[in-house]
Amino acid sequence: MMSKFQFEYNQEALKNLKIEDTSILDRLVDYRHARDFRQKKDHSQRDKRMSLKEAVAEFVQDGDIFAYTGFGYVRTSIQADWEMVRQGKKNLQSIGSPNTCQSWGVTYGNTPYTHASYAGAEMRGYDKYFSDNIKNGRVKILSDWSHGLMAIGLKAAQLGAPGIFSKSGLGSDLVTHNPYLKVMNNPMAKGNDPCVFVPALYPDITFIHVHAADKFGNARFYGPAVNDLALAGATRKLVITAEEIVSNQDIRWNNKGVQITFQNVDAVVEQPYGALPGYMPGCYYWARRWWEKTFAMMSLGQEAMEAYIKEWILDTKDTNEVVKKLGGVDFIINQKRLAKAAEADNEDDGVEFKYKPWSPETPPDVYD
Amino acid sequence: MTEFKPMNPLEMVAYVLSKQINDHEVVYIGTGLPMVAGILAKKTHAPNITFVYESGGQDPIEGGMPWSVGGPETYRKSPMILEMPYSFGQAASGLVDTGFLGFAQLDMYGNANTTMIGGEFTNPKVRLTGSGGNNDVASLCDKLVFVGLQSPQKFVQKCDFITSAGHLTGGNARQEAGLLGHGPVAVVTSAGVYDFEPASKRMRIKSLHPGVSADLAQLASGFELLRPEGEIPVTEVPSKEILEILRHKVDPQGFFITMPGA
Repeated sequence: MMSKFQFEYNQEALKNLKIEDTSILDRLVDYRHARDFRQKKDHSQRDKRMSLKEAVAEFVQDGDIFAYTGFGYVRTSIQADWEMVRQGKKNLQSIGSPNTCQSWGVTYGNTPYTHASYAGAEMRGYDKYFSDNIKNGRVKILSDWSHGLMAIGLKAAQLGAPGIFSKSGLGSDLVTHNPYLKVMNNPMAKGNDPCVFVPALYPDITFIHVHAADKFGNARFYGPAVNDLALAGATRKLVITAEEIVSNQDIRWNNKGVQITFQNVDAVVEQPYGALPGYMPGCYYWARRWWEKTFAMMSLGQEAMEAYIKEWILDTKDTNEVVKKLGGVDFIINQKRLAKAAEADNEDDGVEFKYKPWSPETPPDVYD
Repeated sequence: MTEFKPMNPLEMVAYVLSKQINDHEVVYIGTGLPMVAGILAKKTHAPNITFVYESGGQDPIEGGMPWSVGGPETYRKSPMILEMPYSFGQAASGLVDTGFLGFAQLDMYGNANTTMIGGEFTNPKVRLTGSGGNNDVASLCDKLVFVGLQSPQKFVQKCDFITSAGHLTGGNARQEAGLLGHGPVAVVTSAGVYDFEPASKRMRIKSLHPGVSADLAQLASGFELLRPEGEIPVTEVPSKEILEILRHKVDPQGFFITMPGA
């Protein structure tokens, strides 16, 4: 049931972003629709397990607003993202803080819209091609955000609040390039106290990668939560991908770290290595050279990036094949050692983090 | 015994930036040179500072340099790992002292651009990374320090896009816009250290690095740099000991302190 509720957008921002038909913006802030959608769901504790293929097929619809979780490439459900590409899901709107992984969706052509916050992968690489993609119209920015403002919007949704007043964004060009943001005076202040009103944000589909979940969807994870606690409460549809599936008993007895409860969850997927090629706290270190090579490919343009996407996403049928391609058992053992040493869980004396960054001279199968 | 390499401009910048950090403070750190400076500060004159990172990690024990603000080095045995909204919320509610940011463009009032170069948002000359946490750090921290290389393309009359609010149009503009905190208090570049003239809030030379004259610094700027009264101090250079710490303990792979093309 689509709410007939109307929205008041920032007119200056609509002009600056050249958005004429605002209906494409509505669903992200339609909190009444989001509430109805979830009120009507089956809230029972039931076995929600399925494969990643099945979860993507059933829960990702063309045109969905897809939220990126974790931190770009830290506990991000990248394997779910790749399965969406494999299944030809299209016309997606990307949202996330950061949106690092939108880069291949945009290049591939399944993500023509983005709620931008940060493109690129920090020092591993800057997405030069995202810049081209904006100019050639392959992706359109529907709203421009800071991480903090987007985080507040998602948090508002989790809290069931229509919006939150923030002090971020004031005086910047973000508030003139984001249709959802308005500068308003603090209603409690007598006199001048400008704030930015951030409406609650409701993505359609979100995949959150966790360490362990039970079959009902109760999920346990650690490491930076980033926006995942908020997203679990904000998203209309939530799929949990888990390194392992544990019993409900285990979730109850070892409940330290359980941060998502079952009623938010639509499907549970056992997906070891679901965060690859990114980092999974305590489990595996990034495939550093994979990221460096990826961003190098991006800067070579469309053809190079398409070939790379074909090699890594379209020509691998599942995560197991991705693991093999990254180096299989040797890779897994090494990345586990690095992750546990980095977190001071295991001995780090003697663990070598120094490496030769990727260059065209790097041997072809080296990705760690 | 290997030859001791002379200091390069990035190492100087990292050292000078580290000196902007006062011991016992809570500091908000972004990737790149700010991170190098923060870790150097903690290993030298400011061992009691606390790092805050936007993904939620904070107050980690000593380890490798975090090259990602979401990576394990940011939350290594942290007492508590937070979430993004609360991480920025801390800055807004008075629990963070200083934020450190880079910039693609910086204007005379300390407004920064990391969003785009060009005149047209939907058809930019170059779309950059976007704000990330930059706007929040600039808006919410009590004090802000910028760091970067200096050139007329980076020190601009007016940013093509104001990603992060500094002193806006100068004077009281920042306060009138509703922002709290002191805003930018210093800028550290490859030429020198700048502060902001208290009334106009325009960028002003505080010290210049050895060999850099005021005229040279001005040549490397697209706007007029205010000059202080009297003789301009020369920025202190790092000692050999500090350079050794920087090269071998802080950034041994030279990710951030190796000059491009080196």
